[in-house]
Amino acid sequence: MNLGKQFKEGLLTNNPVLVQVIGMCSTMAITTSMFNGIGMGVAVTVILTLSNVIISAIRKIIPDKIRIAMFIVVIAGFVTCVDLLIQAFVPALSASLGVFIPLIVVNCIILGRAEAFSYKNGVAASFFDGIFQGIGYTAVLLVMCIIREFLGAGTFGGGILNGGDGIRILPEQFPIGMLTLPVGGFLVLACLIAAMQWALSKSKNKEESK
Amino acid sequence: MSNEVKTKEKVDMDPKYIITLTVTLFITCVIVAGLLGLVNGVTAGPIAEINWQNTQAAMTQVVSDPDNTTFGETPLENTQAMTDAATAAGGTLGDIYEAQVNGETVGYAVTVSASGSQGTIEMMVGVDAEGTVTGVSIVSHSETSGIGTKVMGNEPTASGVGVLDQFIGKSAADGTLSVGTNVDAITGATVSTRGVTTGVNTALAAVGAMG
Repeated sequence: MNLGKQFKEGLLTNNPVLVQVIGMCSTMAITTSMFNGIGMGVAVTVILTLSNVIISAIRKIIPDKIRIAMFIVVIAGFVTCVDLLIQAFVPALSASLGVFIPLIVVNCIILGRAEAFSYKNGVAASFFDGIFQGIGYTAVLLVMCIIREFLGAGTFGGGILNGGDGIRILPEQFPIGMLTLPVGGFLVLACLIAAMQWALSKSKNKEESK
Repeated sequence: MSNEVKTKEKVDMDPKYIITLTVTLFITCVIVAGLLGLVNGVTAGPIAEINWQNTQAAMTQVVSDPDNTTFGETPLENTQAMTDAATAAGGTLGDIYEAQVNGETVGYAVTVSASGSQGTIEMMVGVDAEGTVTGVSIVSHSETSGIGTKVMGNEPTASGVGVLDQFIGKSAADGTLSVGTNVDAITGATVSTRGVTTGVNTALAAVGAMG
């Protein structure tokens, strides 16, 4: 177990969204205000960590043939719990994320990490993998939220700061409304992935030339 | 145990292996279902409370005297005639709640849904005992941001009246409401306005069919 390496992988070199390119749907759909980004990020991190731990703990008794079915049962169980808890105790978040909370069941990040990591590694390592991959996902969501909210609505911290309206940076007539639509999500995500790939290949070249 | 389970291919048809698969999956499902039941027990109360508050808040917006009006806790029973009238008007009828002032029924808060330009628009329409609209509020929608949302946000039409407010005072006596004749649309959002209009027609038809 190498915490530093796992942390770096989750956040940068093996970032779920920018490098593994999984979990795209929610990334594009909900990143229109900071409140949504943080809420979704935390929900996915919690579910990912719990499901990683449980799957890792029972990995020895999961028959190989039905492992996907077992993963989905465990994941769907946790997602439904979190969905109910959010509905009951954070209704504002449930109203703004809507169907995307139940859809975490089919978020590839969680099934992907179950198959690629926690099914093969110990409980502690899986626990940290869940947290770090979750943080990596949340970080990308936050960057997307900040860019799209700033350019698309001209505000910062929507849903949280300034009584929920966000702090206005650009006057109301300047923002490009398109960026808050799905097409804007594609554009921003494409730019982020391109930037990430460029940075990764640059650092790889540097290592090779040493 | 684990070795036996992980021996692949050859034991495919071994009944023991199949039973192991079934039992493992079954036990997992039972445990998860139990957990869900537990969580549901904790959250069912608060969720019902929140839903009722949201419904009440939406209903309060559509009655003419919100401060003195109380609402029946359970929706009225929708008769076949009401459902049919609603369908004929183009929308789908949801729950109808009685609005009461001092214990007397003064009108109804009707939940209806109708298609907008991007999906279903769910709305609450207030109708008084004489069959006149007392207010319209949008419960949920998926209209285009910046265009259809103008209708949802009750922005003024060319005549200067809010697009949702223009329905107040209209009744079945005005005939079927339609955009262009007795309803003004928001420029560029005709389809969304039409959706709301269909919803109001649906609510009026349902209340009219109450008998």
